Amino acid sequence: MSTIAPAAVKPLPEWRRFRFPQSLYKYGAVLGAAGFIWWSLDFLRIDVERLPGILGRMFDVLSERYWPPQVSRVMESGYIEAVVDTFQMSYVATVVGILIAIPLAWFGSFNMTPSRRYLYPVARMIVMSCRSVHEMIWTILLVAIVGFGMLPGTLAMTMFCIGFSGKLLAEAIEAIRNGPVEAIRASGANELQVFVFAVLPQVRVAWTGIAIYTWDVVFRAATVVGFFGAGGMGHYLRESVQRVESQEVAAIVLSIILIVFAAELVSAWIRARISRAIA
Amino acid sequence: MRAGAADLTAYDLHADQISAWRNRSRRMRYGTYFMVAALIAWSVEAIVIGDTDWDRISWASMFKSARQFMDVDFSILGSLLTPAIETALMATLGTLLGLVLAVPVAWLGAANISPLGKSSYAFGRALMTMSRSVHELVWALIFVAAVGLGALAGVLAMGIRSIGFISKTVAEAIEDVNPGPVEAMRAVGANRFQVLLFGILPQVIPVFIGNVIFEWDVNIRRSTIMGLVGAGGLGLALHRQMSAYNYGGVATVLLVILLLIIAGEIASYLARRAVI
Amino acid sequence: MSAILEVRDLRVRYSAGKEVLKGINFTVRSDDFLAIIGPSGSGKSTLIRCVNRLVEPNAGEILFEGRDLLRLGESEMRAARRNIGMIFQEFNLIERLSVIDNVLTGRLGYTGTWRSLFRAYTRDDIRNAIRLLDRVGLIEHLDKRADQLSGGQRQRVGIARALIQDPKMLLVDEPTSSLDPKIAREVMGLIREIAREFGVPVLCNIHDVNLALEYCTRVIGLQDGIKRFDGAPAEIDKRVLADIYAMETL
Repeated sequence: MSTIAPAAVKPLPEWRRFRFPQSLYKYGAVLGAAGFIWWSLDFLRIDVERLPGILGRMFDVLSERYWPPQVSRVMESGYIEAVVDTFQMSYVATVVGILIAIPLAWFGSFNMTPSRRYLYPVARMIVMSCRSVHEMIWTILLVAIVGFGMLPGTLAMTMFCIGFSGKLLAEAIEAIRNGPVEAIRASGANELQVFVFAVLPQVRVAWTGIAIYTWDVVFRAATVVGFFGAGGMGHYLRESVQRVESQEVAAIVLSIILIVFAAELVSAWIRARISRAIA
Repeated sequence: MRAGAADLTAYDLHADQISAWRNRSRRMRYGTYFMVAALIAWSVEAIVIGDTDWDRISWASMFKSARQFMDVDFSILGSLLTPAIETALMATLGTLLGLVLAVPVAWLGAANISPLGKSSYAFGRALMTMSRSVHELVWALIFVAAVGLGALAGVLAMGIRSIGFISKTVAEAIEDVNPGPVEAMRAVGANRFQVLLFGILPQVIPVFIGNVIFEWDVNIRRSTIMGLVGAGGLGLALHRQMSAYNYGGVATVLLVILLLIIAGEIASYLARRAVI
Repeated sequence: MSAILEVRDLRVRYSAGKEVLKGINFTVRSDDFLAIIGPSGSGKSTLIRCVNRLVEPNAGEILFEGRDLLRLGESEMRAARRNIGMIFQEFNLIERLSVIDNVLTGRLGYTGTWRSLFRAYTRDDIRNAIRLLDRVGLIEHLDKRADQLSGGQRQRVGIARALIQDPKMLLVDEPTSSLDPKIAREVMGLIREIAREFGVPVLCNIHDVNLALEYCTRVIGLQDGIKRFDGAPAEIDKRVLADIYAMETL
């Protein structure tokens, strides 16, 4: 059956996937990417010759110096208090952060903002600048200004929370249906009434989910802000790192992973429960 | 509608149910509010009263500390160029590593194509959670411990940290691909790998690229703090200025970080527009 | 003419327990253009997908060139699928690939895994793809992306993809349901011409009875998983249709 239709009289075109200029671009791009990676490794002084076998060596180092984790360190009453502190910081930061983020999300949602000219760009700017600075940098700054302790940690994570949840909350507003908004507006309601009666009911479920998810993320950050002097478990991590007590570090890192994992399970469970209760 | 006696009873019963349900949901709601408020009170007490030494903190002292940052020390600006480039490169290599590692994880963690069914699916999902639920600073500490100080630890940390987001979104995209092309590829006699390559990959490529760009943007942010635990870049410069109590220098580093992040945001915006 | 496909007592039960096909028997001869008609939900689409085992039957035999396809292992089945071209209702093109790359995917069964990774098809494959695209009238659209084509054009790409497999039989699943009536007739005409030209039998399920009667040489009527009719289009009258479509109004 290989004799496929007798060719028409006209000659059929030759075809190549990449004809002359494209073929050049394609190979140029591949070469360029490879060159860029090679140059980056060189610039970062990463020794390429040492890369093969790196997994084995990593395993050796971790198993020789970090194993077994010194569990007694994370059983100290001080450490357990620090875990509670961590929870408290993350909780306050999330609640306060979201309370601040809600009006910002309202003003910074393109469809519902009361003023596209003034409020919208300002709200977006605030959320974006909270977002663009890493939470650890907020922590360092606030520790320098307020001093050591839980307060700067809480403030830093509040900033982080505003940036993180502000964007998500605003996106939820931008996804609502416009029908109810028009209906409420047609009844002569003012902007606040429109927000409360047309927007809030539509975003309630999504916002609850976002709030719990945000707590989850904030809690993860809260476990390490103490590394820079802002209270919580991170403080113990820093101490052990500085004393080069590798087995203590291992125990603390493992405990952080476990606790964050547990927090994630709890948050997923609450989210599932609430979405069932509301929906 | 004519309301007969039977209808009325049914209606009353219904109203009773509604009000019972309302009472219950109201009780539940107030209970939740009360718990939220009680937790706040307890936590605020610990943070603001228990843990903060208000004798040492005053508006004046806070203002004074903040004031120190205002004298931006431009003299170190020149020495920040190399760390700034390092930071960007670390983020880029970390993202590349993350995207390479995310492909097999997405393959494991997509329910419809996971090679060994439920067990490999669960394993893939566990890897995703593992990657995301550990803070990048902790990953950086782990890799600094494992491979020593330097940019490599930062690249590895961000690579591992990036797997979670990229592979999760891609796995979700794989789970709702249009099954048509997959069926067509099976019908022409393609093997499993060819079905993945032609039936599924072209459909998820846009999601994949979009999320890689997004993750690159986030990684630039993460990259700025890697140096705080010894993994190179601007974080290291920040750390040095901090330890020298040169607050003007700290401010300069922060400004450079801000510039880098803005540049990254613009670049990722342009890249996303070029792709989509 | 000899039978190329023989289906014996084919049964399919979905996991919910509903039996979709309840013991179907029929043959396709090597010069047939066989239409399967029947109301929606009668099992037409399942039947066609059983032939190349996109759907796994629960019992029965499917003899393709004398070999029972249901006994084949995974790789043998893949090899068998190369000989069975398929054309789909929703075209099932890979939208982000070019037209010619779509046609070339029809050669995947003949192309090694490593070569397919780089889309390194043989010269002959590429030449055949161009010839086929010329045959179906898409030579100008060679390098366009598949999602830039109209519905009729996409179905022509689908036809070329099935033909490049060098098939010994074509399975056609509702080829016209996604097309408007005029284009639908063009596409049916093209499938008929090509089937003659290449000497391949066609097994086609089709919703539109009039199209079936016009283009096909034999018709099978299916209702609720049971074969109700098997004969020439000329034998179909009101009574037969009423039997096949039972309660559905025509």
